[in-house]
Amino acid sequence: MHRRDAIRTVSAGLALPTLGALAPDHLWAAARSIHDRIRCTQQDQGFLILTEHQNAVVTTLAELIIPETDTPGATAAQVNRFVDVMLAEWFDDDERAEFSRGLVELDARSANTFGTPFLELEEAQQVGLLRRLDDEVTALRQAEQPTQDHFFSRMKWLTLYGYYTSEVGATEELQQAIIPFRYEPCAPVRRGGSGQWE
Amino acid sequence: MGMRQSTYDAIVVGSGISGGWAAKELTEAGLNTLVLEAGRSIDPAADYAEHEPAWSFRYRGLGDRRSLEQRQPVQRTCYACDEAAAKFFVDDVENPYSTADGKPFLWIRGRQVGGKSIMWARQSYRWSDPDFGANLRDGHGVDWPIRYRDLAPWYDHVERFAGISGEALGLDQLPDSQFLPPMAVNCAEQFVKDGVERRYGRERVITIGRTAILTVNHSGRAACHYCGPCHRGCITLSYFSSLNATLPAAAATGLMTLRPNSVVAEVVYDPETDRARGVRVIDAVTMEEMEFEGRVVFLCASALESTRILLNSKSTRFPDGLGNSSGELGHNLMDHTMQSGATGLVPGLDDRNAYGNRPNGLYVPRFRNVWDEHPDFMRGYGFQGSASRAGWSRGTAMPAFGAEFKEALRQPGPWQMRLNGFGECLPRHSNYVEIDPDRKDRWGVPVLRIHCEWGENERSMLQDMPVTAAEMLEAAGCTNITPFSNDTPPGLTIHEMGTARMGRDPQTSVLNGYNQCHDVPNLFVTDGASMASSACQNPSLTYMALTARACAYVVEQLQRREL
Repeated sequence: MHRRDAIRTVSAGLALPTLGALAPDHLWAAARSIHDRIRCTQQDQGFLILTEHQNAVVTTLAELIIPETDTPGATAAQVNRFVDVMLAEWFDDDERAEFSRGLVELDARSANTFGTPFLELEEAQQVGLLRRLDDEVTALRQAEQPTQDHFFSRMKWLTLYGYYTSEVGATEELQQAIIPFRYEPCAPVRRGGSGQWE
Repeated sequence: MGMRQSTYDAIVVGSGISGGWAAKELTEAGLNTLVLEAGRSIDPAADYAEHEPAWSFRYRGLGDRRSLEQRQPVQRTCYACDEAAAKFFVDDVENPYSTADGKPFLWIRGRQVGGKSIMWARQSYRWSDPDFGANLRDGHGVDWPIRYRDLAPWYDHVERFAGISGEALGLDQLPDSQFLPPMAVNCAEQFVKDGVERRYGRERVITIGRTAILTVNHSGRAACHYCGPCHRGCITLSYFSSLNATLPAAAATGLMTLRPNSVVAEVVYDPETDRARGVRVIDAVTMEEMEFEGRVVFLCASALESTRILLNSKSTRFPDGLGNSSGELGHNLMDHTMQSGATGLVPGLDDRNAYGNRPNGLYVPRFRNVWDEHPDFMRGYGFQGSASRAGWSRGTAMPAFGAEFKEALRQPGPWQMRLNGFGECLPRHSNYVEIDPDRKDRWGVPVLRIHCEWGENERSMLQDMPVTAAEMLEAAGCTNITPFSNDTPPGLTIHEMGTARMGRDPQTSVLNGYNQCHDVPNLFVTDGASMASSACQNPSLTYMALTARACAYVVEQLQRREL
C-alpha cells in the first residue's frame, strides 16, 4: 500500500465533530434536524407469515386486550403487523409453531364451548374465552411455573409491546416526549410515566 | 510486508477512552501522532440513534434476535447491545476468543473510532489512597508504584475537560472530583437516602452517581437533555466519549493522523536499539500488511486487546511476548462482581413520579473494611442503584385485559428501589489470558484464551451485599424487601483489567509507575491492562488520569532526550 492510499483511507475516516465551531445552540439545531428525519417503517405491505384468518384472529385478540377508548387501540397501532414480523423473523421455530397451534386451539375451544369459530362469537363470549385463558396464565404464575409459552401470555406480551412502542401508543396513549429537556425529580404523576424508557 | 510508512513522534493504538486521551495530550504537546483504530470510522450524524423512537426499529428495540444469536452471542449479554447500538459491539464470529472449560468469561468489545467510550455507562469515580495502598497492606498482588497524591492532579486535569457531575462528600475512601453541578435525586430516592442517613450517619452514605455527563454547557458541549439512551450516541456531545471530546480536540491541533480499519497485529521490537520500532498493521478492509514507525508507542486498545498485542509480539529477546521478562504479562486478570443486592418498595409518594430520563443513578461509597475489619473478606464494594416506578411493561405480568386494564396501566406502578453491589476483585496469578495456538480472528491474528473465575474473597463479598443492601432498605422503611444474588460470569461488568500490571519491581510487574514498560522504555500501556488492583469503583476515570500523566512524562522525557 502506498502512502497516499493510506492517507486517503485516513481522510475517509475523519468524521469527527468539531468542537469550538459548534456552540451548544448549533448542537441543538443538529439534534432537531436528526429528530426530524426519523424514519417510519410502518408501510402497507403484504403479510410475511400470517394467513388472512390468522391475521383476523390476531387483530381481534389484540383489540380485546388493548381496545380503543379515549385513545386509539391495538388495531389502530397495527399490532397485527408487529405480530407478523415477530412471528416470521424473531421467534424460533418452536415458538412460532406453538403460537400457530394456540390460534387453532382457540377456534377449537370456541367450537367446543359455543359451537362456532372464535371470530363469529359475540364480543362478550370472546371476552369470556379470553378470561379463561388469562386465568390459566395467572394459575401458572401463582404456581411459579413459566408462563411465556402459554399462548395467551405470548399474545398479551406481543400486544402490549407492539402497542406501547408504536407511534400511536407512545405519542397518543403514553404522550411520551423523546426529548424531555429536563429531569423533574418529584413531578406530579402524568401519563407517560418517566418518559421514553420502559 | 508492505512498504514502510514515515515515522511519527508517537503511535497510539486504540481510540477509546484511553487512546482518545493519549491522542489529545500528545498532539497538544506538539507531537505528530498516529492513532490506529482497528474498527471503522463513526459519523455521529449518521450513526448516533438516541432520538430514534422504538417504532422506527423493525423489532421495536428488542433487537434482531437471529442476528444477535448468530453473530453476537457474547455481546448481546450486555444490556447496551440493543437494536440501535448493536452496531457498536463487535461481531463475535469475526472476533473469537476461547475460555477454559467451566470458566465462562464474557468479553464485551467495541471496535470503532470511539471504542467502548460510545457505549460506556459513564460512571466516574476517583480511586483513593486506601485503594492504591491495598496490595501492600494485605499482601495480594504487588504494591502500586504510585499513590493517590501522584494521580490527584491528573484527575483534576481530565475532569476539568471531560466534565463530571456529582456531589462533593469529603470522604477518604472516595475522593471528590472537580464537579459540575450534580443531577437530582428523585423523591423516593431522597426518602431512602434520609432513612439510611438517620441509621448510618457517615458510615453508609447515599449520593447521586458521579457521571461524565454535562449538567451545564461546558467546553462547547451542550448540557444533557435527559433523553435517556446514552449508549446509542449523543448528538449534543453531552456525555464524555473520545468521539465527542478528546479526538476532536486532538484533530484541532492538526497533528493527529487517525487511521481507522487498522488492526495492529504486533508491536515491532528492534533488537539493535532494544526499543519498539513501531507496529505491524493489517488493513481491516484490504487485508494488506504495513508497518508504521514511532518514537514512542502507546497501547490503549483495551485491557485484553493491548495484552493480546504484546503476547503476539514475539522475538528472540521476548519469546513469551514483548515486555514479558517478568512472566506476569497476561496474568492477574480482574473484573468487578455485580448483580448482588436487594430491592424494596418505597411507601407513599403515590401522586409523584420522576419526569425525564436521568441517565444516572445513586451511589453508595464503599463502607466495608473502611471503618473496621470485616471477618469474612478483604477490601469492599459499592452499591449503584435508583428508585423508579414501572410503566406499561409491568402489564405483561399482570392479570386482566381490556379497557380497565389499559386505564390501569396509565398509572405508574409502585416506587421500587434497587441497590446493586459492585465488588472489588483480588489480583490473582491464576486468572490469566494466553494466546490460543489454534485460533485466529478474521484478520489472521491469534486470539486469546481466557482463564478467569471469581475467588473466595469475591464470593464472600457477594454473600454480604444482599444483607447490607436489605439493611439499608429496611432502615429507610421500605417494604417487600427482596435480596438477590446472581452469579454473573466475570467480564460482564466490562471492568476487565490487570493483565500488564504496574509495579515497582521489573521481576514481578510489566510496567513502572509511569505506565512505561520496564523492558522496553519507549512502550507505554495506559488502559485497564496496567492496573495493579481493581478497587471497587468504575475504573475509566482512572485510565484517563493515568494516560494523561504518562503522556506528560513522555513529553518531558523526549524534551530531555531520555527516550
